[in-house]
Amino acid sequence: MNIFLRELKANFKSLLVWGGIIILLIVIAMAKYSAYADNPQLLAVLDSMPPALLDAFNLKAFNLTTLSGFFGVMFTYFALMGGIAAAMWGSDIISKEERDKTVEFALTLPVTRNQVITSKALAALVNSIAFVLITWVASLAAASYYHPNIAFYNFLALEMQAMFVIELIFLAIGLLLGCAMKQYKRAGSTAVSIILATYFLSIISGMNKKLDLLKYFTPFKYFDAGKLFRTGHMDLTYLLLSAIIIVVAMAGAYLTYNRRDLYI
Amino acid sequence: MNVIEVDHLTKYYGKARGIIDVSFQVEAGEIFGFIGPNGAGKSTTIRLLLSLIYPTSGSAKIFGRDCIKYGPALRQEIGYLPSEVFYYEHMKVIDLLKYSASFYKKDCTQRLHELAEIMELNLNRRIEDLSYGNKKKVGIVQGLLHSPRLLFLDEPTAGLDPLIQRKFFNLIREENQRGVTVFFSSHILGEVQRLCNRVGIIKEGRIIEISDIRTLQQNNYKKVRIAANGIDVADFNIEGVSKLESNHDGVRFFFKGDINTIVRKISQIDLVDVSIEEPTLEEIFMHYYE
Repeated sequence: MNIFLRELKANFKSLLVWGGIIILLIVIAMAKYSAYADNPQLLAVLDSMPPALLDAFNLKAFNLTTLSGFFGVMFTYFALMGGIAAAMWGSDIISKEERDKTVEFALTLPVTRNQVITSKALAALVNSIAFVLITWVASLAAASYYHPNIAFYNFLALEMQAMFVIELIFLAIGLLLGCAMKQYKRAGSTAVSIILATYFLSIISGMNKKLDLLKYFTPFKYFDAGKLFRTGHMDLTYLLLSAIIIVVAMAGAYLTYNRRDLYI
Repeated sequence: MNVIEVDHLTKYYGKARGIIDVSFQVEAGEIFGFIGPNGAGKSTTIRLLLSLIYPTSGSAKIFGRDCIKYGPALRQEIGYLPSEVFYYEHMKVIDLLKYSASFYKKDCTQRLHELAEIMELNLNRRIEDLSYGNKKKVGIVQGLLHSPRLLFLDEPTAGLDPLIQRKFFNLIREENQRGVTVFFSSHILGEVQRLCNRVGIIKEGRIIEISDIRTLQQNNYKKVRIAANGIDVADFNIEGVSKLESNHDGVRFFFKGDINTIVRKISQIDLVDVSIEEPTLEEIFMHYYE
């Protein structure tokens, strides 16, 4: 409990920074939307662009001139931000003890390594939940100006759930990297590299039908905003796949951290 | 009863040597000195005992229980002062110490403040603003606040001024008198000599000697200094003599063996002056490291 509370406090500033960034992103995006809203000329401009480019930025599935369409495109950025933040929190919360050399204090207290991982993982989880809530509330506040209908609210709720699952996946991967990596200094940058790699994989897999198989390797494809919009729910197969990734990564985190030497 | 039992403990970091086949026991209530130069494996041994790192082979017991399997429970009774202390930089000293205290199953508040007073530690400063010596003081309070039954001190005096050092030694002596077992690692022999009952000497990862401090000083070596006219250095080049040196008015050397041999030898000379004394630990130590 004491580790959990200390970590919450230690990571609060980071949450504020990330929260500030996402709010800023939403504010800027909404400023742009004011130009798109109910503007048929924009649709003509988009139609003239190459289809591959539209695919890459998920612009084909949505009508940018509607609020739901606009937030459908925004989902990519929410997912990316959530993924990066969660992965950083996950890897950093473990590896910082070695980086800051506090491991000789923190791990010679009468605690098991499992207790340490669990408390820290929970603290990072709270941050991830808070980050989704900030995004949600900021989106609601920003959208309220356009008096959206109930369909928009439902779609936004679904997007936030999907964002949360993506956060969980990358939180687990971040924790695994923090626990397992010998070069603890690189745990954070490796986590971000994985996110960017999977993100570009999701773009590539969308551009060409032959590369369709790649979609299983990138969590950003698990919850495609277009599909969420059309079906109104998250795909069960991908939810299951997400759960498997999370469980395997967490099991790996506990296993490796218990077995390895701590670096001092 | 043995508080620490180390059994053929070996640790390699990849191919790099940590310690090799280290075995020793530390009895309840003693202050055990662990001497060796930097890189000999002192910290490695302590970190293995605290299960921060795991052995390549061998095992160790603390209070009769395996130090890895029962590590977390054992650490309720263990205090540790690392050679370099690192704490969460943004925390205040008092918050850090309270945080540390919160892990132990007893109320440490009173002892915490007692110790802070003895060590003249300002509790309201932030860790990041502290000097090296002051961080070390935090380490001392943090290592002792839960009144542990076993203390690991890894080069504890580095960075402390002489006054605080003396207070620290008194503190350790008091703890020891209350029955606390102390494992004292150091490369400064003077302090080990002052404090410890027994010493283990470690060199390049291996224990090369474990003995009572007195026996180490008394039984083994004598430091002999002879001043005489017309002395022949070669006369003293006999078995048991080492580090034989001569200057214009005499010779000096270390002698190990039957003391009568050397006394008979000396009695044949027309002496100006002679002294036979116990070498300091420093001198014995240098001998081991030749």
